[in-house]
Amino acid sequence: MTLSGRFVTLLALGVVPVVLLGREGNLAALVMLGWVVFCVVLGAVDALLAASPRRLAFERMLPARVRLGETVTSDLLVTNLGSRTLHGLVRDAWQPSAGAPAQRMPVAVPAGERRAVRLGLTPRRRGERRVERVTVRSRGPLGLVGRQATLLAPGRIRVLPPFASRRHLPSRLARLRELDGLTSVMVRGQGTEFDSLREYVRGDDVRSVDWRATARRGAERPDGGENLVVRTWRPERDRRVVIVIDSSRLSAARIDDEPRLDTAFESALLLAALASRAGDRVDVLAYDRRVRARVQGASGAELLSRMVDSLAVVEPELIEMDWAAVPAQVDTLTRQAALVVLLTTLDAPGSSGGLLSVLPQLTRRHTVVVASVTDPAVLAATGSRGDREQIYRAAAAERALLDVARVSAAARRLGAEVVTAAPAELPPAVADRYLALKAAGRL
Amino acid sequence: MSEQGTMRAAAAQTPTLRQALRGARFWLVLAAIAVVVVIATLIIRGAGDAASDIELGATNPAPDGAGAVVQVLRDHGVHVVEAGSLREARRATARDSHATLLYYDPKTLLTADTLRSMRALAPSIVAIDPSFAALQALAPGVSAAGVARHSTNLPAGTGCTDASAARAGTITASGSAYRVSGDAQGCFSTGGGAWAMAQQRTDGRLVTVLGSTDLVSNQSISHAGNAALALGLLGADETLVWYLPTLADVAASGPPSLAELTPGWVTPVMVLLIATALAAAFWRGRRFGPLVVEDLPVTVRAEETMEGRARLYQRASARLRALDALRVGTITRFARRLGLPESASVSEVSDAAAALLGRDPREVRGILLDSEPGTDTELVALTDRLTALERAVTRASVPGGASASPHEATQATRTTNTTESDRPGE
Repeated sequence: MTLSGRFVTLLALGVVPVVLLGREGNLAALVMLGWVVFCVVLGAVDALLAASPRRLAFERMLPARVRLGETVTSDLLVTNLGSRTLHGLVRDAWQPSAGAPAQRMPVAVPAGERRAVRLGLTPRRRGERRVERVTVRSRGPLGLVGRQATLLAPGRIRVLPPFASRRHLPSRLARLRELDGLTSVMVRGQGTEFDSLREYVRGDDVRSVDWRATARRGAERPDGGENLVVRTWRPERDRRVVIVIDSSRLSAARIDDEPRLDTAFESALLLAALASRAGDRVDVLAYDRRVRARVQGASGAELLSRMVDSLAVVEPELIEMDWAAVPAQVDTLTRQAALVVLLTTLDAPGSSGGLLSVLPQLTRRHTVVVASVTDPAVLAATGSRGDREQIYRAAAAERALLDVARVSAAARRLGAEVVTAAPAELPPAVADRYLALKAAGRL
Repeated sequence: MSEQGTMRAAAAQTPTLRQALRGARFWLVLAAIAVVVVIATLIIRGAGDAASDIELGATNPAPDGAGAVVQVLRDHGVHVVEAGSLREARRATARDSHATLLYYDPKTLLTADTLRSMRALAPSIVAIDPSFAALQALAPGVSAAGVARHSTNLPAGTGCTDASAARAGTITASGSAYRVSGDAQGCFSTGGGAWAMAQQRTDGRLVTVLGSTDLVSNQSISHAGNAALALGLLGADETLVWYLPTLADVAASGPPSLAELTPGWVTPVMVLLIATALAAAFWRGRRFGPLVVEDLPVTVRAEETMEGRARLYQRASARLRALDALRVGTITRFARRLGLPESASVSEVSDAAAALLGRDPREVRGILLDSEPGTDTELVALTDRLTALERAVTRASVPGGASASPHEATQATRTTNTTESDRPGE
């Protein structure tokens, strides 16, 4: 049951008859009592005449997925199964971070009919956003008293990582195409694949002239020049790329108002998009002590959609990463040599011990890239040295940078490639490192 | 319509009125029991409470009450009517013209006029320890004689014609004594010509004056012949009016109270406004359905460890350690900028920097390695010199003398050239 402002006003208006009619104490008390009873009876009648807020059926029309930062419309179809027209307000009780507007939606549903309650949702957080209940407040014909009921109408929407780094994709794809069809300046046997033979054009490296093929063609050109044939190369295809995303406690830290984990997702998405275009096979694993998400054996557009879908619900877990289990996890994904990209945190030597201890196992068979976010705030802190406090801060920041450098150096000595960058720069930096490795034929 | 015929109403989470009542059944039953217990307690206690603390109250079981004699009289068929005001006493005696009126007024609430009108109420009046004015009005032939000289085992005396007194024999009662004159007679001599009880009959109405409450009070009714006297005097008629004057007998006077001055509608309006306020609170406070639960992610600011380390340095005044951290950073950047190998020692870097700037190697070495800050002021000064040196090296090593600050420049190198960013001395 609910009361409206009208009911309160009506009750307060009782002051007028009480003052006018009730000169004497007893009569005034009677008039007052009578007015209260009048209001209560009127309210009860109003409540009885209101449509039942329980005799309703709901259906939801909701897109299954939305990218973070985009807006979708959610339609709640309210069917009135009762015998009276429902006038009232509807609250679709979405979780706060689903970004539903705060106001209540007015509805008028005649008996036996159906109306849509439309909301615009702008989710503020990645992951699964849910709605469980709908609360309906049905108003009586006089608008004095209402009836309220909360009904179950579950729904959910999956909010995908934004993949903001896809703006870097076109330039990286262009670089990939440049790799394609280049005459190789590399020493043969370094792993780039033979692509085709074509005629020499000015500017080609003379070292890539295939003399045997030139001899086979034999004939001389009318202008007296030789019909030189050069070999062309293309980057290797069908290599394996395994992306391991560390979802342990260190990934919860916010840098530039973005958790490390989300930066790792951005990097993983950009790298996967690039690598699948380049013809490599990408497997993704989010791991701390358990597998939080795994995408295996997908390619092309399906790979990206499966990745955002399964990564959307991964949140940082406040537990330590179990690095010792990572080589075995990588082995379950691929048996051949692969490019293993570890999206993790290179921090103090103490917290990176686990990573460093398993790197030899990984580098023995695979090419390993360790990618970590650096904190621009720390870099900025080294520069501000105004007063005593800032100097101590700068010293601590230098110390932190030194720690990162030491861990990075240790990782490099163990055979891994290290990429560190600020959150906005890490995804393209990882992609560039991938391209560099590909160009060098090290996949 | 066929489609809607198959639709099922959504499951409601708000309980219906019946479900709510059923859910709260335990508490409702508990509340009902509590109410019953409270009411029963009130009834049980209220029976004794009403007049229990009044002296000589007809239902007062306390030592100074008179519950005992009233109970005995009732058991013997005497109709005892309690009266708290003269109006009630008049109403009681009007019903039965043959009634005995007991009158006890220790606070002397009645005026002479009301006393005179009271005398006409009943054919027999028993006045216990009356005031001077009451004595004047009821029995002019009886006069007060102060405190009784003797009080134990007073004999009825030969001059006493009252049958009850004769039956009682002796009484034990301490209190006032009376002298008699004219047609009044005294019983139970207290010595010195004074009596513990006096009677005067005027116009066929008998007024008995008793000097002591001991004769009827629970505490002393059982002494000597007290009980016999009390029962004889009070049980003579079928009706006994037990009249103890209260404030209701006092005529009201004085200035009007606040309640009399305010108009009659003020209290009802206040009650109505309170009801309105409650309704308004319910109107505004009614929640639109239950709260929605959402588990929020932890928010960990990454630079907190750095801030913590900075505060530790500061609290411990670890000046040299702080300065060394800054120096290591600077030396690392110098080595990279000056194209020195990773294995270059600090003095090599220092000398290279001095050579680049054309400054005294010892001075540069002092900034980069040797000098130790003793106070915070020295720390600030050394840091300033270190920063200036770094800026100078940056400017000298960048072709064309770029004006960018050393940190912006180093930031750029650090984010892109991370593969080559190993520091010396590792």
